[in-house]
Amino acid sequence: MLQLLIAGLTVGSEFALIALGIHIILRATRVVNFAQGEFSIVGGLIALTCAEVLHANAWFALAGATLAGFVLGLVFEIVVLRPAGRTGGEAGVTIATIGAVFVLLYGHALVPGWGSDSHPLPGFGGPANIVILSLSKDGGAVVQVQSLWVFALLIAALAALYVFFERTYYGKAIRAAAENPLGARLVGIDVNSARAISVALGIALAAYGGTIIGPITLVGGAAGFALTIKGFVAAIVGGLESPVGCVAGGFVVGVLQVFLQSRMSYDVADPLVYSVLLLMLLVRPQGLFGRRDVVRD
Amino acid sequence: MLAVFAAIVILFGVLAQHDAGLSQAGTYVAIFAPAAIGLSILLGNVNQISVGQAGFFGIGAYSVGYLTVERGWPFWTAAPLGIALAAAIGVGLGFIALRFRGHYLAMATLAFGLIAAGVFHAAPFLGHASGITGIPYPQAGPLTISGHVAYWFAWIVAFVIALLSLSLLRGRAGRAFEAIRNDELAAETIGIPTRRYKIVAFAYAGALAAAGGATFAAYLGLVNPDAVGIALSVDVLLMVVLGGSGLISGALFGAALIGYLNVVGHQWDNWREVGYGALVVLCVIFAPGGVLGTLRRLAFARAPSTRAAPPPPAVIAAPPVRAPSAEPLAVRGVTKRFGGLVALDDVSFSLQPGTLTALIGPNGAGKTTLFNAICGIGRPTAGRIAIGGADVTGRQPHRIAALGVGRTFQNARLFGAMTVFENVAAAAAANRRVADRRARAVLARLGLDHLAGVLAKDLAFGDRRRAELARAVAAEPWLLLVDEPAAGLNGPERERLNADLLALRDAGTTLLLIEHDMKLVMAISQRVIVLEFGRVIADAAPAEVQRDPRVIAAYLGTAT
Repeated sequence: MLQLLIAGLTVGSEFALIALGIHIILRATRVVNFAQGEFSIVGGLIALTCAEVLHANAWFALAGATLAGFVLGLVFEIVVLRPAGRTGGEAGVTIATIGAVFVLLYGHALVPGWGSDSHPLPGFGGPANIVILSLSKDGGAVVQVQSLWVFALLIAALAALYVFFERTYYGKAIRAAAENPLGARLVGIDVNSARAISVALGIALAAYGGTIIGPITLVGGAAGFALTIKGFVAAIVGGLESPVGCVAGGFVVGVLQVFLQSRMSYDVADPLVYSVLLLMLLVRPQGLFGRRDVVRD
Repeated sequence: MLAVFAAIVILFGVLAQHDAGLSQAGTYVAIFAPAAIGLSILLGNVNQISVGQAGFFGIGAYSVGYLTVERGWPFWTAAPLGIALAAAIGVGLGFIALRFRGHYLAMATLAFGLIAAGVFHAAPFLGHASGITGIPYPQAGPLTISGHVAYWFAWIVAFVIALLSLSLLRGRAGRAFEAIRNDELAAETIGIPTRRYKIVAFAYAGALAAAGGATFAAYLGLVNPDAVGIALSVDVLLMVVLGGSGLISGALFGAALIGYLNVVGHQWDNWREVGYGALVVLCVIFAPGGVLGTLRRLAFARAPSTRAAPPPPAVIAAPPVRAPSAEPLAVRGVTKRFGGLVALDDVSFSLQPGTLTALIGPNGAGKTTLFNAICGIGRPTAGRIAIGGADVTGRQPHRIAALGVGRTFQNARLFGAMTVFENVAAAAAANRRVADRRARAVLARLGLDHLAGVLAKDLAFGDRRRAELARAVAAEPWLLLVDEPAAGLNGPERERLNADLLALRDAGTTLLLIEHDMKLVMAISQRVIVLEFGRVIADAAPAEVQRDPRVIAAYLGTAT
């Protein structure tokens, strides 16, 4: 039980980061980015290249992937989302992100060294490979050191985001621009750059998440759509409008998924996770932590 | 346009008669076209994205597979059942759609597609990963629908669906969709049940995809989870985006284009899919209407015409209307709070049939909030509202409108991308022919017929207000709420408005009028209700209200 819980929280950490990225991009663009999971996978693959080709250690690979994610995000916003929004509105942007999924999904398979397979990523190191956590004499769990790294790195990212959005001028400006673009423009905030930085941050988070989980779950492969939707389920479970909710939702979905997968085949377990989405949308669309009034007009 | 397609399909069918590869490629286009038509309506007319068409397609295909193979049903009963099942599930998804504004819904449709794929995988009677095989070819009398016969059959199905959809879009539903897409709230207030239309659109799109799926299963003789996976949903989306959403011919064109590209690029696997993704993005950015939509726009580009209005003709009497009770409107103790702000505070009054009452008060007094409450936009915090003797508190706006209530908005919420004529006809609440006749009559009566063909967004300000009035009276309401109709109107336009409002009153319409122009208020109203800070501070004949010290204080401030 405890074992499953820890495994669930570990994968849930990635869902949490995907959900947070979706949340940040949604706030800035009013659109759900379907390519979020795909960017996470590409991020992991970039870390792989850093590690294998450039012989960087895990930390530099993580920094490289996150930075590359940020740059990719900027390009994505400026080249795809912004022009799509000008001509197609929110529906157009949403469709463009779905198009981007295909470019990234099948495009990364064409990159030499990436392909369509999954690859292991070097770990972040540590004194021993596993530690035994025993709470009582009959129950205990084997915890990978990498899982502990995942939690630590998740917390580090959350802390950094908190400080950025709550404590710095730029973070506040970005929030203002997302909240009320016209008002922000009137007080001299460059709304376009604020939006681009939001998207870049969201994508960087995805790449970061794909990398920190890499030593445990492998990187690459075709699971991007599934990641996006699990991140979205997490965001809906926790409350799309609440960053804390996104993280909590990520953990809930991670634990649920691991628990279901331990009982039945993946083909059944994953659709059950997705049905949580429809259930939440019907029963409590504002999420477990969201406020009711933000959901509808 | 469809006739051109039909000609191409027939020509292709004759040419491909002895070429199994070509025939199959052509048949596939016909099989996927219905799913694209459904999504085209959903995306183009209701502005909702679905990435779940493969799920519905699979429901149609698996219904045919299971019922014919396991239950021994003929195709002709199995297929309709599958289509009905898909429609029912579409209604369910539609309900979810209504809970959200924006495009989160697309994610729910994606989840639906993946769940459907999971069910196809997991359900023991659906054959798991290998699916259902040995599906018999449908028999039509002595004719077995297989091989090239299936080409003709699939295209007949596709064209029947195309024609059905076209007549739907050209009829009342099409106008309603268009109105909803332009302004949902305004559509509600002219009596269009926007929620129902959206749900119907989802169900219809699902049913069409299922019809394609049923044909698919019967044609191939098998169905498996891979065939109805997420890739198909995205292909269908691609067909619609490329061809042109909202256009039936666009969906057909898109289906044919993708069918062609699939054949041409079949050995290119990854590159082809990257290209599809890039095409979607490029299409959204450079050709938002798709290929056909863009061509059509170029062909039918029309310059905005804002001709100066000729002098309005004489007023023609409005057709008589009658309120169903002696009390067309009764507001009893209505209070509306927004958080800590009290917008309406225990407001009570009732109106006599066939009278014109003005509602005045300083800015922020709660006048428009009161209109909204009467129309069903935002439930009052406390109190009841009765219209025509029936308690309507908390009822949806379109149901209140359907009772015989019309309204205009302070900021003239016309359907911008529709012509004046279409705006008025959409509100006429009748089938297309009757609606068109009524719309013409209303425009003639209000002296707006010269503007009938002008897009609402191109109208001059005064004309916009009068067009909105025309839309509000098109359904011949017996209770009419008019929000600042004279604002921004010039002298002659105001005189004309006076006359129009009085003509409506004389025909038996009960009018409630928000207005700041005191000359107009005093000239035409029989009674004036004054609101201040959400309270009724005066309710009397115009002359009396004019002398009321409280009213004077409210407007001019109190000397202290």
